[in-house]
Amino acid sequence: MSDRSKLKVVVVGGGTAGWMTAAALVKLLPDRCDVHLVESEAIGIVGVGEATLPHIRAFNERLGIDEAEFMAATRATFKLGIEFRDWGRVGDGYIHPFGTFGRGNSEVEFHHYWTRLEREGAAAAPIGEFSMAVTMAYLNRFARPDPNPEKLESTFSYAYQFDATLFAPFLRQLAEQMGARRTEGRIVDVELDGEGGDIRALNLESGERIDGELFIDCSGFFSLLLGKTLEEPFEDWSQWLPCDRAVAMPCRTRTALTPYTSAIAMPAGWRWRIPLQHRTGNGYVYSSSFTSDDEAREALIGAAEGDPIAEPRVLKFQAGRRRRSWVRNCVGVGLASGFLEPLESTSIYLIQAAITALVELFPIDGISPLDRDEFNRLIDLEYDRIRDFLILHYHATERSDSPFWDHVRTMQVPDSLHEKMALFRSRGRVAKYREGVFLDASWIAVYIGQRVTPDGYDMRADLPSANVLRDAMSALQSEVRARASALPDHRDYIERYCPMAEAA
Amino acid sequence: MRPAGPIASVIVAGGGITAWSAAAALKRRIPSLQVALIVIPLSAGALADRMISTLPSIHGFHQDIGLTAADTIGGAASDLRLGTLFEGWADELAPYVHAYGAYGTPVGGVSFHQLWLRDHQRASLPPFDYFSPAAELARSGRPPTAGSDSVEFGLQLTLDRYGELMRAYALHLGVTEHRMGIQDVELRTDDGFIDKLTLDDGTSQRADLYVDCTGPEAILHSRFQTPLFDWSKWLPCDRLIMTGSEADPAFGSMDRVTAFDNGWRWAASSPQQSSSGTVYSSAHASDSEALGEAGEPIAFRQGRLEDFWVRNCVALGDAAVMIEPLEWTNLHLVHSQIDRMVSMMPARDCAPIELAEFNRQCAAEADRVRDFVCLHYVCARKPERFWKDAAAVAPPDSLAHCLSLFAERGRLPYHEEETFSRDSWLAVLLGQGFEPRRIDPMADLVPPADAQLAFATMRRSLESFALPSAAHVLPELNPRGVR
Repeated sequence: MSDRSKLKVVVVGGGTAGWMTAAALVKLLPDRCDVHLVESEAIGIVGVGEATLPHIRAFNERLGIDEAEFMAATRATFKLGIEFRDWGRVGDGYIHPFGTFGRGNSEVEFHHYWTRLEREGAAAAPIGEFSMAVTMAYLNRFARPDPNPEKLESTFSYAYQFDATLFAPFLRQLAEQMGARRTEGRIVDVELDGEGGDIRALNLESGERIDGELFIDCSGFFSLLLGKTLEEPFEDWSQWLPCDRAVAMPCRTRTALTPYTSAIAMPAGWRWRIPLQHRTGNGYVYSSSFTSDDEAREALIGAAEGDPIAEPRVLKFQAGRRRRSWVRNCVGVGLASGFLEPLESTSIYLIQAAITALVELFPIDGISPLDRDEFNRLIDLEYDRIRDFLILHYHATERSDSPFWDHVRTMQVPDSLHEKMALFRSRGRVAKYREGVFLDASWIAVYIGQRVTPDGYDMRADLPSANVLRDAMSALQSEVRARASALPDHRDYIERYCPMAEAA
Repeated sequence: MRPAGPIASVIVAGGGITAWSAAAALKRRIPSLQVALIVIPLSAGALADRMISTLPSIHGFHQDIGLTAADTIGGAASDLRLGTLFEGWADELAPYVHAYGAYGTPVGGVSFHQLWLRDHQRASLPPFDYFSPAAELARSGRPPTAGSDSVEFGLQLTLDRYGELMRAYALHLGVTEHRMGIQDVELRTDDGFIDKLTLDDGTSQRADLYVDCTGPEAILHSRFQTPLFDWSKWLPCDRLIMTGSEADPAFGSMDRVTAFDNGWRWAASSPQQSSSGTVYSSAHASDSEALGEAGEPIAFRQGRLEDFWVRNCVALGDAAVMIEPLEWTNLHLVHSQIDRMVSMMPARDCAPIELAEFNRQCAAEADRVRDFVCLHYVCARKPERFWKDAAAVAPPDSLAHCLSLFAERGRLPYHEEETFSRDSWLAVLLGQGFEPRRIDPMADLVPPADAQLAFATMRRSLESFALPSAAHVLPELNPRGVR
């Protein structure tokens, strides 16, 4: 329908959120919008979210991105889950897998059988040994899932760990090929419509004026349009998520290329380790109420493996979100609309969720308040559910070795989380909802991995006799190990499939 | 605190399919339970036990308890059911078929309905339901067999035979049967749990858990005086007259639901039984007018319990949700509630936190069924006072949300515990002529010529729908056999 006049969309910010949005809009709504992205090279990009969730694959597919090409360009590795160390107690470790425990197709969920064995004192192996994703991760194996649902090799999914500073340029090339316009420059003024209060145009330092009908704020923490200009209030969640700083430092390593991200608990927060093809991302997320920047920097330098490639860099943030993400003719995507620490790799997922909702609710003949409300409702759901899941990691701990852990262990959590935990403790039930990113297996992994063990289990798990159950469990454990061991080594797989170009 | 012991014994009370289905499922899926059924006369208002038309979910229930299609179709004189023909719900429009499974197929990643909405006027397309394989089969009167993933079907039951099957199966599994009226339901003084049932002969029966399948009277559960959510302002029909006798082969695999001045009538048939009746609002038509129907009107009031499971008593089916049989959801709700009860069985203490999750899911499911039934009234287009009154009431919030989003751009939001698929919603909305103002801009990605070609291909494939013989369908229904 080329006769229809196109909506003028202005995207502010050229980071991951900005270019993901621009690329998606030009690809999916080519006849509906003109996309003009404004970015300033003087302003650095945060480039959070080097680790992703499996949902990113659907996004890339929709954009027609070739996986191997994308992985080579962003020096990506595969990711089967997240390893958590020292969370429940110092010395504990578990993986939150992108996949099921057991075969994932039985009438009674696997963890009920596992809980029964535990209760009977039969010393079951750690629950991760019954998960393909977990076992492959610890063995450094990777292959793509088998489409045959009868096979154990079908019981996992995967995501990527990539260099976020390379993802945006990769998408930029794509978006520009498909017709997105880009202007380099610093925004000095945002022009509002006198009557309605909508945003009308941006004025750049160069004197250029860029007008538009729909403005997408991808300006990161600064939240130039949504926060600074339209003054949408920020809902502060630091009472539950007290971490407000991160110090980041990439290192060159020659250690194992793990197909998982690590999150290691620290005295005042936690530390990430994200292995890429060419380097390892490291960072310490901490609460400035419980440690100083200097202490955190020292702690990170002391803990990270390999040779630092760059000086440690400190970022400041606050957990929470803007009350609404879409206000007037401005949609906040990514950090401009809210921030949740990267503990469960949700940053890019949240960007993607906002883009998906925006495409589905894209204005036709003007912005409808109904569409805007629906957008905000969808985004709220995502944030609220991720929030509870993140708080669980802190709260479900027995650690009492530092004031930080004392605080999170004893703090009041939201009622919604309190109920979820009580329900799991009672009989291993996971509060059910299909909307929201983390499914049952994710909650089960964290609960059990952090010692929230059920008092009871599904009574149907009592059906097999103790011997039959024990034998079946140990057979499954052996089969998982054998199947996982037969898969290719992660590094070999990458070198065959998507090696990065050698650094010049 | 030591966890409470497991539930060891269950008493099911009721007189029909609901009660026998619950007893059979409990005994089959949790064999360690002692299950006793106190058989009382079937309540007149127990619609789940009295409607012959069922939804596709019935096959999942059968599979869960180990019954095969051979048992339920051949053995109990049922037949496959493809859908309902809705007549007269929107006066100026032709009747439409609500069948199960897909309506059309996506083209170039764009939902079929969006393209149909965009092009149907300009391209003079057939109505929306002409793109549903199941509706096509149902309309054509061809034998109701499955030959495609896109066709789903329920059953038309012969109620006596089906009830007998369920009873025989439950007894075979080890359920015990007590034919005796219930005199009294006694509560424990300390915690308010049901202590025992006193029967007509003065004996009493005790169990850890009581399952109330006694229909709208809810003989057990009513002891708790749980609040009711009244739906009558949205669903004003409160009378039902049921008739029916000999089988009528003319119906084939499709039942009929026809709107009239003050309500609606149905007509359906299984291989050995026909069923028909009238549902209406007593405020708009007096019983004496009797609408030309023979039979005693059954009075009911639509709504649901606030909590289905209270202490050690769970109400199922019409004991928990009273809803008119439009779209045949009564027995479907029973099956779904039974499955939830089995898979969320608490310990003997019936911990409130566990019951709360059970109740939350049951309530959400019932409310969405209410919304779907209510949708038919909201979108009806008829001039009579009854219909005008029904359409004038502001719908429940969740339905209003759906309708406003659909009206805006043909989008239907996802809800938890949804019974009917998006295509079912579309079948009713578009069948009754409710069209959105605008459509999804993503539809631009498919040029009209491409869509045109896809529409023609879909229609051609439906017209020559290849049908396997009835013998092929039986194993397909239950591919893994008894679990």
